[in-house]
Amino acid sequence: MLGEILHILAAAIISWILFVTVDIFFKLPETGGVSGASAIARDIEAGGGALAGGTMMGNIVCSPDASAGTLLAACGVYVAGIPGGLAAALMVFIGNRICHDPGYAGTTGAVLATFVVYAFTLVGFAATDFIAGMVIAILTIQGLSHTHASRLLARLWRVRQ
Amino acid sequence: MIALYVVAAIAVFAAIRAIIEKNTGRKLPYANVLNFAVAGALVLLLDHPLSLVAAAAYFVGSTLESNAIASTYAGGVKR
Repeated sequence: MLGEILHILAAAIISWILFVTVDIFFKLPETGGVSGASAIARDIEAGGGALAGGTMMGNIVCSPDASAGTLLAACGVYVAGIPGGLAAALMVFIGNRICHDPGYAGTTGAVLATFVVYAFTLVGFAATDFIAGMVIAILTIQGLSHTHASRLLARLWRVRQ
Repeated sequence: MIALYVVAAIAVFAAIRAIIEKNTGRKLPYANVLNFAVAGALVLLLDHPLSLVAAAAYFVGSTLESNAIASTYAGGVKR
């Protein structure tokens, strides 16, 4: 039981690093993909947060990004191994097009996460650890403190620039 | 089994935060966490290959709804 909890926490850290790296690589904090993402960014900034971090959080809300890719890839690996993860990547790609997102952060994140999750299943992790881990990872960004999360993302974005 | 409880607890927490938050722009990220948790819980609960399709369909659909609410909140299409 304790082992499973530690696996979930480790999976949360791995998922967090994976999706934040891919999202920042694909410049999600730069501009809002749709007008709604910019509106969310403005509200987060008005609440004391940073605009660049808020823009990335708005983009995460408005279209499946690398975090959604990681979650669905983990679900895919749990259901059907690597083919399941790649099927999830295809569904994220379709989801991006439905949501008027011209980017490839979600699809790239899903493909990368498929292989990362599969590799960890070979060393004792379960794919379910990554499903719960990714939900914890998104909670830390979107669900605890928008002010602190957006400032942290803005700091990482400045490093990228 | 613990994974399911973790995901369910986060879903309830996110739902409460989304209800309490008054500002629409800051409410949507909490709803986003709820969508993640529900999509994860779907796959953990349904032991069937098509649960992946159900989770992806739910997730993309709810994301599109958030997108539509946020864009309407931002002022909608300018004519």
